[in-house]
Amino acid sequence: MMTRFSFNWIGIACVLAVASLPAWPFSDSYIVAAVIRTLIFIALGQAWNVIAGIGGQLSLGHGVFFGLGAYATAILFNLWGVPPWIGVWAGMLAAALVAVAIGGITFRLRGVYFALATVVISLAFEKLARFFVDLTGGDAGFALQFLGDSWWGLQSREPTPFLWPALALVVGYYMLTRWLLRSRFGLELQAVRDDEDAATAAGVAVFRTKLMGLLLSAVMTALVGTLHVQFYLTIDPGNAFGLFQAVQIQLPSLIGGLGTAIGPVLGGAVMIIANEATNWASSRFDVPGLDVLAYGGLLLFIVIRAPEGLSGPLSAMLRRRPR
Amino acid sequence: MAAFLLEVADVSKVFGGLVALKSVSFAIEEGEVVGLIGPNGAGKSTLFEVVSGGMRPTGGTIRYQGEDITNLPAHLRRRAGMSRTFQKIRLFNNLTVEQNLAVAAMQSTPAGRTWKSEVQSALIRLRLTGLVDRKPSELTLADRKKVEIGRAIVGHCRMLMLDESLSGLTRDEADDLVGEILALNRDLGVTILVVEHVMPVVMAMARRLLVLDYGTIIANGLPAEVARNPDVITAYLGTKKGAT
Ligand SMILES: Nc1ncnc2c1ncn2[C@@H]1O[C@H](COP(=O)(O)OP(=O)(O)OP(=O)(O)O)[C@@H](O)[C@H]1O
Ligand SMILES: [Mg+2]
Repeated sequence: MMTRFSFNWIGIACVLAVASLPAWPFSDSYIVAAVIRTLIFIALGQAWNVIAGIGGQLSLGHGVFFGLGAYATAILFNLWGVPPWIGVWAGMLAAALVAVAIGGITFRLRGVYFALATVVISLAFEKLARFFVDLTGGDAGFALQFLGDSWWGLQSREPTPFLWPALALVVGYYMLTRWLLRSRFGLELQAVRDDEDAATAAGVAVFRTKLMGLLLSAVMTALVGTLHVQFYLTIDPGNAFGLFQAVQIQLPSLIGGLGTAIGPVLGGAVMIIANEATNWASSRFDVPGLDVLAYGGLLLFIVIRAPEGLSGPLSAMLRRRPR
Repeated sequence: MAAFLLEVADVSKVFGGLVALKSVSFAIEEGEVVGLIGPNGAGKSTLFEVVSGGMRPTGGTIRYQGEDITNLPAHLRRRAGMSRTFQKIRLFNNLTVEQNLAVAAMQSTPAGRTWKSEVQSALIRLRLTGLVDRKPSELTLADRKKVEIGRAIVGHCRMLMLDESLSGLTRDEADDLVGEILALNRDLGVTILVVEHVMPVVMAMARRLLVLDYGTIIANGLPAEVARNPDVITAYLGTKKGAT
């Protein structure tokens, strides 16, 4: 009881703090932009967590869905003037179609086929994006036509207007995950994750459950892709479909706690803060490479000390603390 | 003619070169408690897999409630009331006891009832109400077996197949569980097919025995008759120490 109570209040305080960030005395556009980057990073982790953490289906190429969201919105806007609030649907639809194709082929099989397929599809899309230069700008990347401050184009010179939609996305995904963990669909996903044969014996339609989980996760990821390209105004093949991006998407949940609602939020926040801190330290002490080393060491430390992610030890700590 | 709940006709299963089931035929009437015995590797678990849909038979047909279900997916068999447990317990280890049952109840709760009340009555029946919020790893073996049985009977369950649910339990725990299993048959009319190694237990539970040896049914009848059958004595009782 006590834990739930204090968790909720800490959560609400954090959301209010982030929402009111631009009004804070020390705040500037650098800090606001850094927070938006963090929120986008967290939202991607939350989207991946749905299929990998809750559903137990290891997607190693989630960049595909992210890239489709970003490219679909950007290409539709530049080439045909379709505004992003319509383009976003095209991105989500494209991600859904690719998800159904990958899942439809691999989810009837057991083992590594799904994970492998996501990697192969990622590599294929990266190649395609580099090849169709006219459409995607190729290696150089794709710059969104800039309109300045525009409601039509959902663009802004200042980062601040992106803060609230990004925060809303993270809060929304958090609530969705909380709901999912207790809902029928979420219980089915978790049952499939824990034991496919037992899930079947319990009457769960395993194939359909995995497919719907991937579909949801893919659509959530594509939506973040749209937000990403509106904010950064640019996207390139590596950034969209590359395996580095796919790994980045996995880290918040792995660090924070796979299959939990708070995990990706916690993991994403800790990672960005650690990254900024080590960057700052290395420039301060003028030791090149220190940042990467310290950052990597810290992540390693967390993974060794808390293999289930930070959310477990943290909630244990809050529970133990006297009033 | 008598209406059988389950009819297995000429079923075979081949793994590569190994014939695990060879033209197996038998039928079970609604409300029966049938024991399936046989030495290690006789094909008992394979027969469970084939009947419950975990594996497709190489040949033969399986009828349930009068319908051919040979090619019906396993999860739909469960929703039609055909449940099974696994020889090696398989639970959802990251879900609570209550959630383990809820997942199954949500799939097959009959119209007019709610999955919550189905879960509740199964928990009460198996005396698991004090453990609803526990994870399987926090339970004793006996309780984990009960959770697996609870997951099998919750919602719509007309036929229950138990694969060595009593093995590894103490005498008292086993007696306790046997009582609960028989109560399912007596109170709810659930038809039961049990695989069990401990002969006295099977003899006490089942009103009919099927004996499987090298994938073939070598005896089918009343427990006392089967125990006197010379084929059974050489094939099973003779080869297995301490099983009398
Ligand atoms: N998936 C499989 N692939 C290959 N062979 C298998 C498979 N499953 C079972 N077998 C083989 O089929 C035969 C029957 O096995 P099964 O598990 O059905 O026996 P059982 O009667 O349940 O034995 P036990 O009393 O040890 O549980 C054995 O020889 C076994 O090795
Ligand atoms: Mg067996």
